Amino acid sequence: MVQWVTGVAVVLALAVAPAQRQQVLVSAAASLADVMATLARRYEMQTGVRVVVNTGASNTLARQITAGAAVDLFVSADEAQMDAVRAEVVSGTRVPLLSNQLVVAVAADRPRRMRSVRDLLDPSYRRIAIGDPAAVPAGVYTKAYLEKLGIWREVSKKVVPSASVRVALATVENGATEAAIVYRTDLATTRRAMMAFAVPLPDGPRIVYPAAVIATGHNRAGATRLLAWLQGDQAMKVFVNAGFIRGR
Amino acid sequence: MDGEIFEIAVFTTAAALAATVVMLPPGIALAWVLARHRFRGKAVVETLASLPLVMPPVATGLLLLWLVGRRGPVGHLLEPLGIEIVFTPAAVVLAMAIMGLPLLVRTARAGFEQVTRRYEQMAETLGARPWRVFTTVTLPLASRNILAGALLGFTRALGEFGATIVVAGSIPGRTRTLTVGIYTYTETGQDARAAALLVVSVALAFGAVLVANRLAHVD
Repeated sequence: MVQWVTGVAVVLALAVAPAQRQQVLVSAAASLADVMATLARRYEMQTGVRVVVNTGASNTLARQITAGAAVDLFVSADEAQMDAVRAEVVSGTRVPLLSNQLVVAVAADRPRRMRSVRDLLDPSYRRIAIGDPAAVPAGVYTKAYLEKLGIWREVSKKVVPSASVRVALATVENGATEAAIVYRTDLATTRRAMMAFAVPLPDGPRIVYPAAVIATGHNRAGATRLLAWLQGDQAMKVFVNAGFIRGR
Repeated sequence: MDGEIFEIAVFTTAAALAATVVMLPPGIALAWVLARHRFRGKAVVETLASLPLVMPPVATGLLLLWLVGRRGPVGHLLEPLGIEIVFTPAAVVLAMAIMGLPLLVRTARAGFEQVTRRYEQMAETLGARPWRVFTTVTLPLASRNILAGALLGFTRALGEFGATIVVAGSIPGRTRTLTVGIYTYTETGQDARAAALLVVSVALAFGAVLVANRLAHVD
């Protein structure tokens, strides 16, 4: 019994032992999980520095940071969550790493093209899925854009608010809605939905994924180098392949 | 099943087992106290012990994050010792144990309440000390319920999501569990992987609930 308890204690102690210094812990928005994993592997091969990627909803990641989690680099899906951790950001390190674009997605087996977002007012679009404008950044952007066009009030009658952009896209894929307003990057991963319209960058909302070095981390120098590398051409190519746009 | 899926399945099962081991001593003690004793504030303790069952898991996670975060009341005591909980497998185990505890306590408590007091009294008249009575009479008589409760706690731990993602994050190979993996893969459009994890979690849960039900119903 005693041996057994010691065994458990040793396992637990190992599990909570402080992380190695030669690594960088990155907290990245869930939408970046796949591309960040690829980049982490590549960076590790080139430099020998281990990159550990933690993913989640940006507001969860922000909460972890304000609770003092030892995050070295934070890549948020929106400016608001980066603002929320402003006190923890190493000054001068915040950059607009990536941009994204709003698109209207329709089911691939019922393809159609739209000339403008105003086409959504057409009765053939009975339900339109968007991220919940009360909580999901994509929904916030969508609502702001439709308000700017002056059609939010009408469109909102058909809107189905979803827990995430992914869920919104899934409703189009399975035919529960006629259209969904999602990010361009979301369409890069599916064949069952297609782009009916892309909101032109100059008219659309400015969608930024800011990145910054976090002061509570253990490896500030490592995080600074990684952030510089992520902005370089080699990493950008990977981001662009996944549908992202270089941040401006 | 690719390597990553297998790794996640093994890690989740191991973490849920560890959580069950961690919750057993306090769970059994609490169940016994609630079954056998009356004291001031008992209703409060009872309610607290059931809270993780009814609170939104994310709220429990936020509470844990606050507690064990570097600035929290527990976290800042651990920091000088070089111990960090957030983002480690220990955080996964902690979240799972807290979420599973109420199920264990409720089931084990019912077991203690069913134990015939006369057997214990007989052991006492034969000269057995309280601890001996507990380990040789009470515990064996309540063991079926304790085991069923542990299994229920284990299944709850397997399916834990809300508290885990907040306090442990989603780090592949370190803290990513079945449910957190399903969420992350869905969010990045890797539906095939999400589906594979889904099948694994259904199979694990099915097996565990089947065994738990058998234990609870057979007399």
